[in-house]
Amino acid sequence: MVAYIIRRIGYGFLTVLGVLFFLFILFFAVTDPDDIARKAVGERAPPEVYEQWKRNKGYDKPLFVNTEHGWLSGGRYTDTLLVDHYTRMLTFQFGQSDADDALISKRIREGAGPSLMLTVPLFLSGMAVAVMVSLFVSFFRETYIDRMALVLCMLAMSVTILLYIIGGQYLIGKVLHWFPISGFDPDPTIVYKFLLLPILVGLVNGLGADVRFYRTVFVEETTKDYVRTARAKGAGEIRVMGNHVLRNALIPILTQIVVAIPFLFTGSLLLESFFGIPGLGSLTIDAIFGNDFATLRTMVYIGALLFVTGQILTDISYTLADPRIRLE
Amino acid sequence: MTKSISRSSLWVVIGVALAFLTACDNNPYTPDDSSKKILYTWFREAPKTLDPAVAYTTSSHQFTGVIYPSMLEYHYLKRPYQLTPSLAKSVPAPEVLPNGYVRYRFDMREGAMFEKDLCFEELAGVEHREIVASDVVFQLKRVADPAINSPVVSVFSKIAGFDEFIKALTEARAADPDFSSRRIDQQYKEAGDIEGLKTPTPHTLEVTLKEPYPQILYWFTMQFTSPVPWEAVVYYDGQDGRDHLRDHPVGGGPYRMASYNKQFRVVLERNPDWWGASPAHRGAPGTVYPSEGEPGDKERGRLDPKYVGQPVPFIDRVEFRREKEAIPSFGKFLQGYFDLSGIIQESFDQVIKNDQLSEEMVEQGVRLEKSVSPDVFYIGFNMDDPMVGHAAGERGRKLRQAMSLVVDVEEFKRVFTNGRGVPAQSPVPPGVFGYEEDYQNPFRVVDKEKAKKKLEEAGYPGGVDPETGQPLRLTFDTADTTSRGLLQSQFYVRAWRTIGIDVEIKATNYNQFQEKVRNGAYQIFNWGWVADYPDAENFLFLLESGQARSVSDGPNTANFQYARYDALFKQMKTRANDETRLEIIREMKDILAEERPWIELFSRENYALYHGWMQNVKPFGMSVPFYKYWDIDPDLRTENRAAWNRPVLWPVYVLVALFFAILVPGIRTFYRERQ
Repeated sequence: MVAYIIRRIGYGFLTVLGVLFFLFILFFAVTDPDDIARKAVGERAPPEVYEQWKRNKGYDKPLFVNTEHGWLSGGRYTDTLLVDHYTRMLTFQFGQSDADDALISKRIREGAGPSLMLTVPLFLSGMAVAVMVSLFVSFFRETYIDRMALVLCMLAMSVTILLYIIGGQYLIGKVLHWFPISGFDPDPTIVYKFLLLPILVGLVNGLGADVRFYRTVFVEETTKDYVRTARAKGAGEIRVMGNHVLRNALIPILTQIVVAIPFLFTGSLLLESFFGIPGLGSLTIDAIFGNDFATLRTMVYIGALLFVTGQILTDISYTLADPRIRLE
Repeated sequence: MTKSISRSSLWVVIGVALAFLTACDNNPYTPDDSSKKILYTWFREAPKTLDPAVAYTTSSHQFTGVIYPSMLEYHYLKRPYQLTPSLAKSVPAPEVLPNGYVRYRFDMREGAMFEKDLCFEELAGVEHREIVASDVVFQLKRVADPAINSPVVSVFSKIAGFDEFIKALTEARAADPDFSSRRIDQQYKEAGDIEGLKTPTPHTLEVTLKEPYPQILYWFTMQFTSPVPWEAVVYYDGQDGRDHLRDHPVGGGPYRMASYNKQFRVVLERNPDWWGASPAHRGAPGTVYPSEGEPGDKERGRLDPKYVGQPVPFIDRVEFRREKEAIPSFGKFLQGYFDLSGIIQESFDQVIKNDQLSEEMVEQGVRLEKSVSPDVFYIGFNMDDPMVGHAAGERGRKLRQAMSLVVDVEEFKRVFTNGRGVPAQSPVPPGVFGYEEDYQNPFRVVDKEKAKKKLEEAGYPGGVDPETGQPLRLTFDTADTTSRGLLQSQFYVRAWRTIGIDVEIKATNYNQFQEKVRNGAYQIFNWGWVADYPDAENFLFLLESGQARSVSDGPNTANFQYARYDALFKQMKTRANDETRLEIIREMKDILAEERPWIELFSRENYALYHGWMQNVKPFGMSVPFYKYWDIDPDLRTENRAAWNRPVLWPVYVLVALFFAILVPGIRTFYRERQ
């Protein structure tokens, strides 16, 4: 098991290195640092100014091999963008934003709070509601409740999240006046007001797919022998569904859930942007529109890192949920 | 079993419903704040910089314009725009020196202080200090500093010795690598004085220009010429966890920055140390609400005796919330949570009916204020081009005239701007001396027959070039590659096609477009100009030959060169606004009408909505914030907000009922079937 985990981590590390190289090609070889500089200091800035900017950022170095400063002249062949890129990312020294020179790590720390405030409750309530509804539906399998739920799920899945967002803001914020249409305030006495609507929207958006998936898993389980045995022993329906079926259905559910956990940190691009929540998703969107390549690079890297972590965690969680699975 | 399921779910549902009812409230602000005089508005994107030597956008001016004090300011109500004193005790008059230089002498108020800030404490051990004339000189040296990259260096190059200072500073930095690491005020000191900026006393600033340029005074209303404390520049360098000056303004205006979070909130608060609030300067222009305005101000409630002569500001705090999307922010305006708003495209027809506010809006007490911004959008011809330019002589002129006669701005407005905008007859927009409402440019009416005739006279009957037998082929270059931009370009092209001319659209990105402009490889283009200050000179110079792109890389992208026009421009630019100046401007407009280097399109018109509890609001047209004159009736606002935002709760009950309606028969069926 330990050997397996170490091997998995090793593979994960290689994957991250690969992603970093891909990022490098995209952000430095495909995008000309000159263009980045011009976007940052303004199209009309004189050449000296953006040359200076590039020097400050270290974007003036050669891409792969530094032939200008050989060892003989006291420099290093490795004084290049590629080496800088890897060192910065692997040591988590993300440096400054291309758009306004703010420290990226500080931005990420500031944005993680609001992101987690949105994603953690959304994740937990989404999971709870989806499991409850699908247990309920599979309990009533093959009845009108089941069929109705399936139709509703299909409908819910076919609608884009943008419609839920705009519809939610219109109906709940504007017509019914339940919550603010958008906005954020970290003041703990009112912060919940801003989160309820995006959580509700996120919940409805994810519910269709989740319920359908869990229902399939649960229904499959309810036809198994042990369920009949449990009933025969006199276990009540609540106990059968909540205890026996739920636990046995955990494996496929875990696959879905554990992978998602690390992404709670990166926030939700669209929800944050439309509801004005200053989290990491919003930060990423800003970086895209503001030509902030440094921040964007960092966010993509962090995303890759979290994805790899999620994969490893999922594997480990299997053995915890089902002792029959051995990782080798 | 059945009982326990429905009982527990019943409690859950009731619990959720109860929690929901108590949480139900769409007020996005701290409840205690509703009785305070706080202006609530929003921003889409935090400005890149608040550095007063660099900031040159509306989004930054809405903050810097009230944080940094200025020598002069605009009269809030009077139109055409009028300058009034501010930090300077009077608007200085030009004084021509024997060598032809022109000097302005600003007498500054004594005892005006910078706001209290940590930088003074850290570097000088005091809470704050007095504003003196050398702080303005320091700021102008910053504008000159190439490392700052100020967008307005060329304007201040008219100051004697300005360019020499730039040269000295650049050379000093190049000669000695250590020079740049010295404290910035030391660097400026060692690079020498700017000859045309003198401070004979701590409260006197003498500005000497190499040539007459009366418009320089307008620049003294802007933050490029605001006093800036060297302490702030030195201290806020972005190192060791300290802010950068561009995110931490240190001024001394009516408001100060209370909180600057670019991600979601910017808060300005009343600056207790503003010079205008001290008894010594009570009643000076800009410290009290004005007593005069233009006709119509009284009727619109802008000269209420309750306010006239009262000390400003009235509003204690201005809160800007970040709203990335237009739809939610407009929704919050309608709920009373934002005090003012523009009109979004999606709701335009709902808000404006027949160019008037809809009844629904009027009932809510909303007011509509229209204002035309001093800007002009146009289609230009590259006059260096052999086909459409000077070289084509009479043929080229007639061709341009013909093309001008078919571009229908009214139609353009209807299609693209919801009817907003004032059709332009000349480069001079409304609100600027030289604009005449009844002036009609003979080639800016739509007349297809006349256009066809002109085209025939030009030697292209029916748009066909007799030499080739093919329709005339021209190109239209644009940097706007958005779908909307393309539609607009197609609008022009379609108009020209009606007289048989075939124009090809070449849309490229801005860099490539700039490249084409640099190389002179363009024929027809469209562009706009937003005024730095409301003077005809700032518009008519766009066609002066000295400013031609191909000559001096100036903003005369049409490369229009016309001796008589240049001569008139020279006379006009240094004249005060009098009858002769108007005559000169008229003649210049006539030349442009006949020659057609431009097809003038329109000046933008802004429709702004204000709630009934906002008082003394007058749109300004230029990006100068005037929160200090505005007032709010917080009681009315609280009352309206409550009335407009009562939570509608019946859907909750319906949902709960629906839940049970589905559940109960299901449970019954299930058990019946199992038994």
